[in-house]
Amino acid sequence: MNRNYIFLTILMLVLAGGTLFLSMNDEPDQIDPKVLLEEMIQPTRYVSTDQVAKMLIQGDPSLMLIDVRSEDDYSYYTLPGAVNIPLDSLLVNGNLSYLGMPGTKVVFVSNDDIKADQMWVLTKRLGYNSTYVLKGGINCWMQTIIEPQRPSDDAPAVDFETYTFRKGAQMYFTGAGSGESEATKVDVEVRRREKSNVAAGGC
Amino acid sequence: MGPLIPNGIIGEGWDFVIAILIGIAFGFILEASGFSSSRNLAGVFYGYNFVVLRVFFTALIVAMVGLMYFDYFGWLDLSKIFILPTYLGPMIVGGIIMGFGFIIGGYCPGTSFTGIAIGKLDALFFTVGLYLGIMGFSLAFPLFEGFYNSGSMGNITLTELTGIPAPYFAMAFTVVALAAFWGTMFIEKRVRKNMKQYKF
Amino acid sequence: MHIHELNPWRTLIALSIFVVVLIIGFITKPKPLFTYEKTIAESVSALSLSEDYVYPWELEDIIANKPDSIVLFDIRNNFVFGQGHIPGSENLAASVLSREENIDRMKKLRDMGVTVVLVGEDELHANGPWMFYRQVGFNNVKLLLGGYNYYFEHKDDLYSTIDDDAYFKGIARFDYAEMAAPKDGAALNSDDMSKPVQVQRRQKSNVAAGGC
Repeated sequence: MNRNYIFLTILMLVLAGGTLFLSMNDEPDQIDPKVLLEEMIQPTRYVSTDQVAKMLIQGDPSLMLIDVRSEDDYSYYTLPGAVNIPLDSLLVNGNLSYLGMPGTKVVFVSNDDIKADQMWVLTKRLGYNSTYVLKGGINCWMQTIIEPQRPSDDAPAVDFETYTFRKGAQMYFTGAGSGESEATKVDVEVRRREKSNVAAGGC
Repeated sequence: MGPLIPNGIIGEGWDFVIAILIGIAFGFILEASGFSSSRNLAGVFYGYNFVVLRVFFTALIVAMVGLMYFDYFGWLDLSKIFILPTYLGPMIVGGIIMGFGFIIGGYCPGTSFTGIAIGKLDALFFTVGLYLGIMGFSLAFPLFEGFYNSGSMGNITLTELTGIPAPYFAMAFTVVALAAFWGTMFIEKRVRKNMKQYKF
Repeated sequence: MHIHELNPWRTLIALSIFVVVLIIGFITKPKPLFTYEKTIAESVSALSLSEDYVYPWELEDIIANKPDSIVLFDIRNNFVFGQGHIPGSENLAASVLSREENIDRMKKLRDMGVTVVLVGEDELHANGPWMFYRQVGFNNVKLLLGGYNYYFEHKDDLYSTIDDDAYFKGIARFDYAEMAAPKDGAALNSDDMSKPVQVQRRQKSNVAAGGC
């Protein structure tokens, strides 16, 4: 009887000692690289400036803009309501706690989309979902929302719809005068399949 | 892979079914270990029977070491499992109260039900007292609500508190547990020698 | 004596099963296809290194000499690739990147010390795969700035793009604050925008407690 107990004791000690050699990774949680690669090649992470403008105008509480540029750039100009997390300080001061809140969509914003996309890849690797990249970044925001270009007259009706929306958004964000409301008088009688949201354009 | 429900491998509605299955298994193990006898349980305090200590320490070290291996194999993500929040002061006081109840009554809440299951009268009385106690506690709860919620440390683990990696704790607990097995075996032998009659 | 105290065999059997389970675990432990070679912090700081990129004007030399040490992988899809591509580049669409044979190919190229240049539509298109390969230890993978679109616009005179900065990303192209300043004095939403940002942070999870 005692021999069995001695054997059991030694076996348990060995098993417990073995845990010392298991490589426990101290890094924060990360998703499997294979999953990351599969996520990465999907273009679903991009949102257009129109979509973001629409959400801002509607005051969508689930939207959270994160500006990944430097603090100086951020304090100079940023999109309304954006929070600043510079790309190189992602891991400091609990910046990560902005991410991963249930029910929020995080949109990364930078001058154009590269830095935001890099941020997206890093946060994705850390396992955060419902993060998006503002396609074209603030440059595109300027071109499409702040100073929208009137489409040429033979452009399809959907372009004019977008343009009308952008004109309205411009007013909302800058308080600019409506100018001549040229968009409304264009009545191109083309029936098109309804798109679920305002068509993304440009950048 | 795991934990199964947070990772969506099993639907959330299944948690009660699983709870029942685990509950049945838990009750079975308690009864099979002899925990339905209050003499067995109280034996720890008088030094003639350490089966409670052995069973619980065995369960503890096997589960602890096993979970670490499972984490390593990728079967279970330890960072996703639920960790009971720690309330230091209230937990110490609660532990002392429970310990007294344990010695006086000879059961802990779970084992009293296994005692009822095999028809023990003392277990039945214990359970009645248990429910009366719960009711009394609930009625008097506003009196000590402040203390009940005091000293919250959040869902904290020893590793987070001390910074020492979990395997070292596992090793330390295993050594302590195994030492306790051997130590109590000798205590048991000496105490039982002086007992005229011992039955369960 | 209780029966179990006399019968350590049961404990032995149970523990043996436990050991067997652990052995199964060790045997079946999946060997990951990739592991992260860089930590998050290293990945962040690596993004500022300039030698991880290929500049469009460098293409001139690559196209002309076709060095063995450089492979161009075009990650656009098959159809667009067929419509036009950089001479000497190979098609490896993003959608098939995670296929085993392509991963093996990448590993082989890495072991041979060949530099792999990823070509996307633009820089953004190839950015994700490029970052991924960098993080899992393919230090031979580089990214073509500007992507195919920029190459296509300037393919007749690639060398002169050395002075062009249009393909550089991350630069503010406009004076944002001035451009977005309220016009016509109508500060319609200025209150709205200047109010301090209120954000929520995630709480540590505190699910209902269980007990014994």
